[in-house]
Amino acid sequence: MSSAVLEQFRQIGRDLFVAGLISSHGGNMSVRQGDRILITRRGSMLARLGEHDLVDIGLEENDANVTLASTEIVVHRAIYRQTSALAIVHTHPPYAIAQSLMKDEIVPADSEGSYLLHKVPVVEAQLTAGSVEVAELLPRWLKEYDLVMLRGHGPFAIGHLLEEAYQLTSVLEMSCRILTLTEGMAGDVKEYRKGSDQYGSW
Amino acid sequence: MSPATSTSRPLRGLRVDLSTGAAVDDELPREVAREYLGGRGVGVFLALRERLYDVEPLAPENLLVFAPGPLTGTGAPASGRYSVTSRSPLTGTVFDGNSGGNWGTALRRLDLDYLIVVGACDTPSYLLVGAGSSSGAAASGDGPPVTVHPAGDLWGLDVPDSLARLRGLHPDCEAGVIGPAGERGVLFASIVNNRGRSIGRGGLGAVMGAKRLKAVVVVGHGAHRPPVADPERLSFVAYEAEKLLKANPITSQALPEFGTSVLVNVLNQAGAFPTRNFRESQFECAQAISGESLRRDFVQRRAACRGCGIGCARRTSTGDASGDGPEYESIWALGAACGVGDLKAIVEANYACNRAGMDAITMGSTVACAMELTEEGLLAGGPRFGDAAAVAALCEATAGGEGLGEELGQGSARLAARHGRPELSMSVKSLELPAYDPRGMTGQGLAFATSNRGGCHLRANMLGPEILGVPKMIDRFATLGKAGLLINLQNLNAVLDSLSVCKFTGFAMKEDYYARLLSSVWGETVEPQELLRIGERIWNAERLFNLAAGFSRADDTLPRRLLEEPIVSGPAAGRVVDLAPMLGEYYVSRGWDGDGRPRAAKLAQLGLTEAAA
Repeated sequence: MSSAVLEQFRQIGRDLFVAGLISSHGGNMSVRQGDRILITRRGSMLARLGEHDLVDIGLEENDANVTLASTEIVVHRAIYRQTSALAIVHTHPPYAIAQSLMKDEIVPADSEGSYLLHKVPVVEAQLTAGSVEVAELLPRWLKEYDLVMLRGHGPFAIGHLLEEAYQLTSVLEMSCRILTLTEGMAGDVKEYRKGSDQYGSW
Repeated sequence: MSPATSTSRPLRGLRVDLSTGAAVDDELPREVAREYLGGRGVGVFLALRERLYDVEPLAPENLLVFAPGPLTGTGAPASGRYSVTSRSPLTGTVFDGNSGGNWGTALRRLDLDYLIVVGACDTPSYLLVGAGSSSGAAASGDGPPVTVHPAGDLWGLDVPDSLARLRGLHPDCEAGVIGPAGERGVLFASIVNNRGRSIGRGGLGAVMGAKRLKAVVVVGHGAHRPPVADPERLSFVAYEAEKLLKANPITSQALPEFGTSVLVNVLNQAGAFPTRNFRESQFECAQAISGESLRRDFVQRRAACRGCGIGCARRTSTGDASGDGPEYESIWALGAACGVGDLKAIVEANYACNRAGMDAITMGSTVACAMELTEEGLLAGGPRFGDAAAVAALCEATAGGEGLGEELGQGSARLAARHGRPELSMSVKSLELPAYDPRGMTGQGLAFATSNRGGCHLRANMLGPEILGVPKMIDRFATLGKAGLLINLQNLNAVLDSLSVCKFTGFAMKEDYYARLLSSVWGETVEPQELLRIGERIWNAERLFNLAAGFSRADDTLPRRLLEEPIVSGPAAGRVVDLAPMLGEYYVSRGWDGDGRPRAAKLAQLGLTEAAA
């Protein structure tokens, strides 16, 4: 593992925690390197990652490192196998989770969220953590969307770089905060975007 | 989305044999459209099927495949493009060039997806396709009429005069022509269309010249409109895409305001602006030849290809003459690469290349190579670094086949080898490197080394992630961890060349936008990763072609200077490219063996097992 890769995990892990997108031991991240995956260790604190917190494991074949890898390894593998992702960020942001408990899709109203996300599908599973059910469900959606919300659990965001997936996660949470704020206000939201009525079909 | 109408259909083509004048309808099954799209993809599919790797590039048996893509002429952003594919006389690889303008749209308006040209004419001729050629022999089926016309009075004319003459003969036509360079067999001769946009780099103009084919003229305006299954959806996705293009400072400000030459100062400041044949990586006269200087002193107006809101092209004038460009690459090649800081001389040398129909990158780089050979005492009476007048004169001499120009017309690899110092050619697979010093952006070194058409930035340009921060900034000096990103870029660019869409849209858009655009046009859902898989198939098909043509791992390398001579000063001082570990990582990530051959599992995954047999 190169020091540059570790530094990238460290910085983004720290930012995820500081931004309130994860709890102390929540969330996980990975990058794909050819037929290998570098994923955060199960139970690691993303805000305090060290070299021993990154686990190198096969994309297709399992090995002993599965004992160390994040609980969500089965989901990460399924996503890499079926999409063009090179990086995955999974977090537990509170506003996004709150919105997912009320809606079947999250359509941002703010400009940044509209540009980058258009629409975020909300999907649900009975077993939400590290389950085969989620592994079978999520990649289908991530073929068409770079970010998908697992109801009550949190988003899985993909990108070519960790920073891209982090950005989408951050934008989602900001959009959900704005939605939550506006939904608590009296009166109608004033639309300012041409074509926004089609975002639901994005 | 699942609209009722599907327009993913068999690809409709024409095959013209110049030796006999016969034209017959051609068709590729719908599966080929789904697996290769069009443009570059269809080009390499046909090049493999016809085993062009066994054909001498300048022999009559070599093919030229002209092909727009499924988005060409549909209203998708910056999609008015087409590709020409053949075996390159400069590199010996499969080679496609991609160009804007109106030519591709005109062909699609004849309800044609591709045009194959084979054989050679006995005397100089041009090909006329479409309504204007109704007096000639028609193809055997339902295709538009095609005729071969004598071009004796066009032969010898430069590009602007040829285009003007053809426009006089066939008003409203779109023409791709060669100039004197193509006629004389300059190995980096271009095919140039009405908008001054070129199919450059690999010498496909010389392939046309060897066939004594002066031009391919299409009269297609106002006829058939390229099919779009869901116009309303396309309009919505195109609008959203345009929003991204307008919000991105590269596509909404830098390129429209300065053109591609905005990169002169950017690369120079990064210490990745190759100077004097890559001896240095910063040029003391960069400001004088920058995009800012070009705009201030020479630009008359912006220009854009059909359907493009970016408008990166420039119409310029020196007072004595006017013309198109120069682009960033040509400013560099005819300027910094040769140690020339006189922008007026650079602009005029570029005009000379345009008139002759020659690739300015290879022209300038070959002159730079000659300059270093001269300074090393290996080329008596040759040009010296900094001699602006010599650059312009050698462009003219190359087009005319005079004196040293005859040698320069073979490119720098042959020139340097002939004078005993092959390592002084700054090329990969005999194609001259463009204006990025990979010692200052190592991922670009891997991109050059693995490019299927040689030293080229258009297969994949790491400028985005390594210099501009698109999609995100990465450590430009790091060696490992870049293969996956590069492979994605290579695959995506293969898709863009096959759709055909301008690569500049990639500064703002990701693959999901292209997938949505194509889904709207075809009326079938095309997922983003399916597009990237198509790109991967095209890339591997090109690799199979090159392996069959005799290329191997040994050719996936860089000029010795970039591997062994550290940059002397500037932000990249002390750097070389540590290529070997990057190449190993790249092969593994590609699913290739240690010799750079796609493994059986990868071929099976891509449906290329038969093609590899």
